[in-house]
Amino acid sequence: MTAFVAVLSKDLRLELRSGMSTIAMVALAMLVLVVLVFALNPGVARGPEAAAGALWIALVFAGMLGASRALLAENENACIRALLMSPIDRATLFAAKLAAAAIFMMVALAAGVVLTVLFFNLNFSGALVRLAPILVLGVIGFAALATLLAAISGRARGGELLLPLLIVPLFVPALIAGVRAAGAALSGAPMATARDWIGILIAFDVLFVTAGYLLFEHVIGEE
Amino acid sequence: MDNFAYLFAAYTAIFAAIFLYVMFIWNRQSRLDQELRALESKLAALTAASDDAPEPESEKSV
Amino acid sequence: MDKRLGNFLGAATLVLTAVSLWMVFAWVPTEAEQGIVQRIFYFHVPLAWVAFASFAIVAVAGIFYLWLGGQIWDDLGYAAAEIGMLFCTLMMVTGSLWAKPIWGTWWTWDSRLTTSFVLWLLYGGYLIMRAMLEESEQVARFAAVVGIVAALDVPVVIVSVRLWRTIHPAVLVTRQGGHGLEDPRMVVTLLVSITAFTLMFAWLLMTRLAVLRARTRSIELAKAIAMAEFRAGRA
Repeated sequence: MTAFVAVLSKDLRLELRSGMSTIAMVALAMLVLVVLVFALNPGVARGPEAAAGALWIALVFAGMLGASRALLAENENACIRALLMSPIDRATLFAAKLAAAAIFMMVALAAGVVLTVLFFNLNFSGALVRLAPILVLGVIGFAALATLLAAISGRARGGELLLPLLIVPLFVPALIAGVRAAGAALSGAPMATARDWIGILIAFDVLFVTAGYLLFEHVIGEE
Repeated sequence: MDNFAYLFAAYTAIFAAIFLYVMFIWNRQSRLDQELRALESKLAALTAASDDAPEPESEKSV
Repeated sequence: MDKRLGNFLGAATLVLTAVSLWMVFAWVPTEAEQGIVQRIFYFHVPLAWVAFASFAIVAVAGIFYLWLGGQIWDDLGYAAAEIGMLFCTLMMVTGSLWAKPIWGTWWTWDSRLTTSFVLWLLYGGYLIMRAMLEESEQVARFAAVVGIVAALDVPVVIVSVRLWRTIHPAVLVTRQGGHGLEDPRMVVTLLVSITAFTLMFAWLLMTRLAVLRARTRSIELAKAIAMAEFRAGRA
């Protein structure tokens, strides 16, 4: 547990000092929303359903950026080697990295939610409170995949392309469920309609957090 | 015989793709076989030249 | 031994494929509702079966690789993913050619089609990864992990896609009656072509594995030569 806290606080402190990846992720989330607003007909880009879709697009893109940046930071100065030499077991390392990635994504997505409300003519209301857990579930699932798979992208010449190619198809079920659940939450439909979707999101998170926890030692480690 | 074109296209696609894939594998295999033969003869020549030093031991010592 | 089994499999594949082609085009009666184009079905289903089987093999090979180690498991995963991708692509192409005259569209986001497409994306990513990275033990371990994770994703994909499609009204309300095989000859034809494709799969897998093995051997030989040259230089 102490090892978990140590690695997590190291990553958080590093980010607080520079703030680079969170700023980059917020900027990318904003760009995605801006592009969507102008790409879609103003009549289409309105209301809860469109907003839910836009938010999840922002989540995917910001998450991909965050994953490759987190890896970049570790590879610089061979930080990752020092972490691997320390007596922290790989599973704990995975949990700490996952937590850090999820926190950065949530910060970026919080900014995305504010912008979405403004851009898509929504209101600041209780619907946003119901939206929050759905987005958190999506962020955890994405961060689990990204943390597990980010280890290779540093090794390939075109690593930045490789990571999304692997993550996005894997993320499809969470994306389908998340967009539907977020649409239901934003449109103020009774939560019962979104129950199945939230169930899928939870199952997805449990599955891939567990898989990452068990498999992480195999993707990282001795060259 | 309506829609025959679709049927024909489907079966052509299947056999063309599988045929190309088999050609690709065989091509690779024959190239690798050639390479292996060349490497083996080179290795044989080298080990014959370097007297009687037993190979596994020297591999361990490096 | 290996060579003889391979030759036997190749010959059996050739014969059975010819037989099933004859059955499909000459022997089996034409389906009443859809007409001649329904004959795509007899090769479409075996393609799907082989594709899914090979993706399962990728995951199993990945588990064995992480558990026991051994180059053979890594090679098996690679070969199975490649062949599975070929068959999955062919399945979608033939399905599309069947859907156009019967459903009136090349593609629809029906739950089965969507699931196949997501699988295709997953294993496409796997193969691009293998093509981009140079072979090493770490890459092999990574590929094993990706293979396992992709297989874990499949049930979630199936559930979510099914739910997704039942909430949205389907573009085409009825599924075709192609699965009501009213004539026993249709069932026999299907079984024969499934057997033919399973044999073909086994043969392709063996042949592809032999290539991968030869490549491993050539790397070993190159190392041995470098070693011998080093020794000769020192002597």
